[in-house]
Amino acid sequence: MSTSQAIYAGWMDIPTSAVNEEARQRAEDAAISALVDQYAGALYRVAYSVLRNPSDAEDAVQEAFLRVLRHRHTLTEVRDHRVWLIRIVWNIVLDRKRRVKTRPETDDVAELARVLPSTGLSAEALAAAAQHHARVLACVEQLPTKEREVLLLSAFEELSSVEIAAVLGITESSVRSRLFRARNLMAGLLDHERSLR
Amino acid sequence: MNSNPHNAMNSDSGVNSSEDTLRLIAGLPAPAGLEERVHKALRAAPRNARVLAWPARFRAKTVMESNWMRAAAAAAIVFVVVGGGWGVYSRVQPGQAGKVIVMPQPMPSSGGFAGAGAIRTPETLPGPKIRKQGSEGTRDQETQPTKKPAAPKKIGSTQPATSRHGASQAAPQPAVTQ
Repeated sequence: MSTSQAIYAGWMDIPTSAVNEEARQRAEDAAISALVDQYAGALYRVAYSVLRNPSDAEDAVQEAFLRVLRHRHTLTEVRDHRVWLIRIVWNIVLDRKRRVKTRPETDDVAELARVLPSTGLSAEALAAAAQHHARVLACVEQLPTKEREVLLLSAFEELSSVEIAAVLGITESSVRSRLFRARNLMAGLLDHERSLR
Repeated sequence: MNSNPHNAMNSDSGVNSSEDTLRLIAGLPAPAGLEERVHKALRAAPRNARVLAWPARFRAKTVMESNWMRAAAAAAIVFVVVGGGWGVYSRVQPGQAGKVIVMPQPMPSSGGFAGAGAIRTPETLPGPKIRKQGSEGTRDQETQPTKKPAAPKKIGSTQPATSRHGASQAAPQPAVTQ
């Protein structure tokens, strides 16, 4: 093809590319809708495990999908959408938690008793379980940041150590060593807490 | 970690219970209607987050016309930039040879004229010279020019040449003046 032919072909492509643009936009919208339907629940659980506040967790999920909408042109370059989305919401919740760090960290036992499943438990047993969970969560909060992050993400059964490494941006061996340290620290903290009682 | 197996068992059970707690929280179901709310938020969000947007009048046009408008605007910008550059280039004349401007000599800080390196030597009055009898002849021989006026020959003169010469030279001496 000569140069002039190529130029004319370029001009003639304008309407075609415009149609393609519209079709591409529709495809992106459909892809984002599918991502919302598929991963909104998982993202909510990740956000709630850090923030432990339902409305804050929902806000974080919405913000994560708004970021996806803003960068929808890069959707085709993403290999694993689940890990990518979890990484986005993880950064959002960490940022939010850092901003509200001045507030005292309180795990409301009544809120835990309301949220956690209570099938076949009496009221007293439910209250005791809620207190136990609150104590455990308070110990988790005392862990160093790196170990706490790995421990929180390891609680999600759908995340492997490779995926946790991808979310945190570290190697898989680092994930394992941090998880080992986190478990040891948690054991020490729980022993100390038990001895105080 | 722990030497006591009972403690180790307790620790393991504590760790397991803590992981159970975290799993319990991680497995909590999302609230009902979460997806719908997210969809609504996405629909309400602006589609194009741009710093500068086209006016609504142009945005209402079809995509093809907006592409033509973009091409025309790009061409206009290129025309203005190139034309401006050419205008500046064509008006600039080659520079003439620079005039030589002689900078004045810097004046001395005290003011007035410079001494041009001259050194003032004060005039001194010729004072009396004391001659030494022993070394006078040799000193005069060294300082005398090579050409000497011929001295008149005197027969029987026993005075040495140095003393004769010294006598003729030492005019201001008191002996001559007397």
